[in-house]
Amino acid sequence: LPEADTPSPERIFAVVVAIMQSQFDLDESELVPGAHLVDDLDLDSIDGVDLSVKAEEELGVEIQPEDLGELQTLQDVVDLLHRLVTRAR
Amino acid sequence: VSVSIQILVSGTTDRAMNRTLRILGTGASFLLFGLSSAVLGMLLYPLLLLVPGGRVERELRMQWLIHQGFRAFVGFMKAVGVIRVSTEGAEALRAPGAVLVVANHPTLIDFVLLGSLMPQLDCVAKRAIWANPFMRGIVRGAGYVPNDDGDSTVAACAERLRAGRNILLFPEGTRSPGDGSLGPFHRGAAHVAIAAGHPLLPVTIRCVPRGLMRGQKWYDVPERRMHFTLSVAEPIAVPEADAPRGTGARRLTAGLREHFEKRLALA
Repeated sequence: LPEADTPSPERIFAVVVAIMQSQFDLDESELVPGAHLVDDLDLDSIDGVDLSVKAEEELGVEIQPEDLGELQTLQDVVDLLHRLVTRAR
Repeated sequence: VSVSIQILVSGTTDRAMNRTLRILGTGASFLLFGLSSAVLGMLLYPLLLLVPGGRVERELRMQWLIHQGFRAFVGFMKAVGVIRVSTEGAEALRAPGAVLVVANHPTLIDFVLLGSLMPQLDCVAKRAIWANPFMRGIVRGAGYVPNDDGDSTVAACAERLRAGRNILLFPEGTRSPGDGSLGPFHRGAAHVAIAAGHPLLPVTIRCVPRGLMRGQKWYDVPERRMHFTLSVAEPIAVPEADAPRGTGARRLTAGLREHFEKRLALA
């Protein structure tokens, strides 16, 4: 497949930001790459499930529950999703 | 002058005496509590397994026994002069139909006080208790919900409500900070309310003067007898918005926190 079919990290970041805004009532200004998922964005384990489900729908990837445990920041989420979309293509 | 000094001195002695008695009373209460928990979990639970009936019947019988134990414990603490308990609107706790009780958690005995008022009450407890040989009979027997994973814990709590069972959740997840404020609220209680479409029944617990709080030892009894007030407010309904549950739970939890802050005059 051509390279262009794989969403860029920037595109994935935008997708994650949009999910967090719609699902968790978060403001775009808080959603910076370095934002800590728990300490800054106040996400909990249920949010983790919802974020996974939405990201799977949007990006056509499959996220394993154990992948989520290691995520600390918003950038970690983007990196994980980028790895998964690259592998999926 | 000498008369008033005399009065002052004897007043102080009385108070000191009184306080010593209350320390002994508190110690005796907790000793009794520990012993009866062990009897309940290690002796009565195995016996209860022999009584015919399904899992649900068994759990409700165990919860009834726990309720009787809590009533006896609270009665003992009152009798020895350690606590006084007032309630406001407590009849709502025993109204027909399931209630989802949410309370602040200032002291060690909040669950016991609420449990003494409700013959059937489910609750969420730390997973580690299921491995504790003294306690596991009680939590297993009563069918309490282990707090291990957000989603499955919420589903299990919502299931209890749908089955018509009362459940108690502390949004702080643990005792409040010892300074009289509220700890951060988790959104589990709001998620349960949303999942089951069930209103939250807020109970504000106060203890004046402060005792049995976080950071206090059990023998750190205050100058005067502890006076507990349990105030049951009007239920808080789940909004009928079709917002995602993450958003809904955030809004409901913010409203709940505001409710308790107002009641505790923290806001």
